[in-house]
Amino acid sequence: MATPQVHHLFHAPIADHSFSSDKQTLAVARENNVELYQASGNKFSLSDELKGHEKTVTSVDIAPNSGRIVTCSQDRNAYVWEQTPSGWKPTLVLLRINRAATFVRWSPSEQKFAVGSGARVIAVCYFEEENDWWISKHLKKPIRSTITTLAWHPNSVLLAAGSTDSHARVFSSFIKGIDERPEPSAWGERLPFNTICGEFLNDSAGWIQGVAFSPSGNALAFTGHDSSVTVVYPSAPEQPPRAMLNISTRLLPLNSLIWNGETEIIAAGHDCEPFRFQGDENGWQLAGSLEKQNAGAAGPREESALNMFRQMDLKGQTQVDTKLKSTHQNTVNTVRAYEEANGQVSSFSTSGVDGRVVIWST
Amino acid sequence: MSQINYRTINIDKLDPESSANFPLETLLPATLPQSETSSDAANVATQVRQLLRGGDTEGALRHALDTAPLGGDDRAKEVHLATVIEVLQGIRQTEMARVLEGVCGSDGGAERADCLMKYLYKGMSASGSSGSKNVSPQVTGSGFSQVQARNVSEGGGGQQMSVLLNWHEKLVELTGTGSIVRVMTDRRTV
Repeated sequence: MATPQVHHLFHAPIADHSFSSDKQTLAVARENNVELYQASGNKFSLSDELKGHEKTVTSVDIAPNSGRIVTCSQDRNAYVWEQTPSGWKPTLVLLRINRAATFVRWSPSEQKFAVGSGARVIAVCYFEEENDWWISKHLKKPIRSTITTLAWHPNSVLLAAGSTDSHARVFSSFIKGIDERPEPSAWGERLPFNTICGEFLNDSAGWIQGVAFSPSGNALAFTGHDSSVTVVYPSAPEQPPRAMLNISTRLLPLNSLIWNGETEIIAAGHDCEPFRFQGDENGWQLAGSLEKQNAGAAGPREESALNMFRQMDLKGQTQVDTKLKSTHQNTVNTVRAYEEANGQVSSFSTSGVDGRVVIWST
Repeated sequence: MSQINYRTINIDKLDPESSANFPLETLLPATLPQSETSSDAANVATQVRQLLRGGDTEGALRHALDTAPLGGDDRAKEVHLATVIEVLQGIRQTEMARVLEGVCGSDGGAERADCLMKYLYKGMSASGSSGSKNVSPQVTGSGFSQVQARNVSEGGGGQQMSVLLNWHEKLVELTGTGSIVRVMTDRRTV
């Protein structure tokens, strides 16, 4: 396991980050703007800023093929940014929501994206040629509270959403003329818009912070504020799931998770380090941290006598213990696959409140 | 016209879309056990006391946690809280670690640990006001009267608090911070 590659971009929280498919551009949501960083050697340097939102940007996503960037913000708007010779040009999306937009992700087909919001709706947005704008259709029922997180099924029709009403749900976001009719799966056969293909609640409830479909799309994992990860295996349409496995951990809550193949999940959150979960339909367990033991702060360093007395003088203590042992120095908000092939993630990236983006190898 | 003070109108009550009208019962899982009454809880209390008298402290704690009235009414919960605290106080400090291992290490132990953590926090919040005398049939009053009661019975509450804190320390060693977080999220209250 190679040492993680740390990019300390600035001293402010990163709400969300996204790499372009060639890994040369890194988009980072910082306060009201999105900053674009360009790779130069081993470092990332600020190259551009996407300005337009009037409140905190909550989420950003770069489409891997088209290179379009979608952002959403607490100002209730979402923009699609396209690169033109004169710079990045935003297009306003008609979201029709009256609360903050909280989360946005492109569908794998890149024809649509979904925006979660505090208005208890998910806006599924697509491009309308005739009018030359992005419009949205709302997934409404039976959401009872703010949508905190979204994840797309590989078929670009099914959409998983986590909410502060403690439910993880799977919806159909099928839009005529945009989507091809999906193959029937365990989630459902006929999938008109707003079909509810699954609704899951943990025993210990808790806001859902992260959801993810497995690479095949035949399993769903979600994590919430109850410090647990739940994996759901659907059986057949309108039937209770074949298995719903809950792994309650001794950790602080996890915020985000990704699948690595069908038998491994990587999740990170308030414990500031990524954890590995392993298992299958018969049971899952926490396999441990991805942080190398005694990495990061590398234990107590050899301090010179001068340094020791200086510390005692300045701070009244011989050792500075304000640094965490983990690579991230604060809560991790987002975990994303960095390099993957056929569902196997060989490296992934995390970003958090400490202003760092870290690339880990699995 | 001037009689109505518009600033004091609670607009959340009038807005069906408001988050103040969130139905909390939707957070309860479908597997919630049958509702229990205080007499059921009293029966459990007798069984638990029998186990305690027989010296089977581990069995007593296990039984008390397995029969927690998660779906019961407030009275049943009060009675059961008294039972659990009685068990916790009846176990010596040197035995705590061993008992916890036994109760929380076996099959279904994680749930028992979470349940015990709920009782520890509930016990700490109720400590002093109703810790030892809450089997009495009177209805517990509003928050205000509880505050007064706490001030009056300072002595007994302090001792109970130290027992609960000891258990808390031992339990966190075993189950980590996750268990504390789950006390806050879980709507199946004890």
